[in-house]
Amino acid sequence: MSDLDRQIEQLKKCEPLKESEVKALCLKAMEILVEESNVQRVDAPVTICGDIHGQFYDMKELFKVGGDCPKTNYLFLGDFVDRGFYSVETFLLLLALKVRYPDRITLIRGNHESRQITQVYGFYDECLRKYGSVNVWRYCTDIFDYLSLSALIENKIFSVHGGLSPAISTLDQIRTIDRKQEVPHDGAMCDLLWSDPEDIVDGWGLSPRGAGFLFGGSVVTSFNHSNNIDYICRAHQLVMEGYKWMFNNQIVTVWSAPNYCYRCGNVAAILELDENLNKQFRVFDAAPQESRGAPAKKPAPDYFL
Amino acid sequence: MVPRDAHNVTRLWSPDALKEDKKTKEGQTGNRSNRCEKLAMEVEVEEKDLKAAGAERLTGGRRGLRIHGWEIESRKCSILNSSTVQQWEEKLETTHLPEMVFGESCLVLKHVKSGTKIYFNAFDALGGWKQEGLPPVEVPAAAKWKFRSKPFQQVILDYDYTFTTPYCGSETIEMDMEKHECGKSTSLYWEDCEEKIDMVALTSKEPILFYDEVVLYEDELADNGVSLLTVKVRVMPSCWFLLLRFWLRVDGVLMRLRDTRMHCVFSDSANPVILRESCWKEATFQSLAATGYPTDSAAYSDPSIISQRLPVVMCRSQKLKVSGNL
Repeated sequence: MSDLDRQIEQLKKCEPLKESEVKALCLKAMEILVEESNVQRVDAPVTICGDIHGQFYDMKELFKVGGDCPKTNYLFLGDFVDRGFYSVETFLLLLALKVRYPDRITLIRGNHESRQITQVYGFYDECLRKYGSVNVWRYCTDIFDYLSLSALIENKIFSVHGGLSPAISTLDQIRTIDRKQEVPHDGAMCDLLWSDPEDIVDGWGLSPRGAGFLFGGSVVTSFNHSNNIDYICRAHQLVMEGYKWMFNNQIVTVWSAPNYCYRCGNVAAILELDENLNKQFRVFDAAPQESRGAPAKKPAPDYFL
Repeated sequence: MVPRDAHNVTRLWSPDALKEDKKTKEGQTGNRSNRCEKLAMEVEVEEKDLKAAGAERLTGGRRGLRIHGWEIESRKCSILNSSTVQQWEEKLETTHLPEMVFGESCLVLKHVKSGTKIYFNAFDALGGWKQEGLPPVEVPAAAKWKFRSKPFQQVILDYDYTFTTPYCGSETIEMDMEKHECGKSTSLYWEDCEEKIDMVALTSKEPILFYDEVVLYEDELADNGVSLLTVKVRVMPSCWFLLLRFWLRVDGVLMRLRDTRMHCVFSDSANPVILRESCWKEATFQSLAATGYPTDSAAYSDPSIISQRLPVVMCRSQKLKVSGNL
């Protein structure tokens, strides 16, 4: 058994790698990811997965439902880290699978794959807690810069974490972005990772909070038409039912973190496409308590004031 | 959209953030097999403590207890599904609700004899939000965006996306018609008062017979902060005490805390009195920076610690005399 296979087995048990192993793994991953396009080509059949957010045991449920990699070809739409308790193990397992089976798993970047966001929403703290230093966080966030920005399945389904950008009307425009950087505060690259489709907007909308653009149905229609694609598949927003179509089936949101934040009670979904691009959504629940690593401790009563 | 410069972050290591994380971790739930599940969070309560206090647990899978004429119950459920969200949007006349609305979750404290019921739920709280209708808080990035993107046709959504609510609980009188034939309807009246909740008494470590925390709604502000409404309750042999907290952090812009505390001391009197204190606090990141506090969002994950740093904008004490002789 190679070192890499051993590491994958170890990560599947939710045991993190040694710091030196993480460093070596990230170097290997970088060599693979640097070759990928900003619009990475993906062949069908493929199974598309949305946000995971460090919910390791729920990702294991996902693999139970969708099948193991490399037998199943996977496309993950980003947001591997933050909010859940096992961002380290989650991301490293996906990365190790990427290095082991580069043609059977595609990882694209979500807005949480960023130095800035991970410092606020958990991944930074988790690395510090699990390794006693921020080195692993540095290796991982350096790798984030190399992740592709989108994927194109059989030239027909455009996949991205957030959505569209007013600065982008063709896929070629995405291909020209220099992606090897921290997610910028504005511009096309930022929009792809942050934007949301919005029912009540016709054209482009701005939210007062300035978090990405909001785009309406007409924007999607014209994008799909000019790029000759059937529909857009994206993640980024929690959907109670695991997936949600909008604008007459021109865009679908896929959400893969069941019982989000361990308390929302939502189901999750993955989208399976067969070789003819026939769709099947597979909906799944959170992992049962007993299959999770740490036993659920009862909290001490809190003398809050 | 993210106000801080990525390459110039002064990261303060906060041990409290870690503590918070652990706390949540322990509260994690298992399978979502039952939508209104009994979460594995039941606090270990000694039977002898319950007995000595004359309390009894609610049965039939309900969470809570009966004590001194009160029935105190919490319910924790999943977030609303898409179709219920739509119904709520119609009822509340809005096109936006928080990302996570725990619409069936609630905390109820009922004085059985009088039918007086104090309760907390997301619907009433969001009704308050809609009614208050604050103007939107603008993040610095949004202003820049508007400028940058002039050529595009845009709709700028201008609702209060922070879901700030003046909600301080709901109350009603629920009569059992079989026992009270006349069904006298009495409205409940919170009168302003000078009395304050006895915080010193509340620091005494008498046994907690029932404890729970219920999230009513939450929004991650698209990763620009947090908006969270929760209610916590603890019941001791001498009293019950609760804290309803609206907590808002718009990263780089402002923090807002709207707390409502209620305290009811058990007595033999048929007419218990509930004291209610609402205290609103607010500060901009700018003003915190001016007073030398950090402006790094990661340093502000636990509102109970931040609370002391935020200036008070409003405080009010009220009391409700529960009439037990209907």
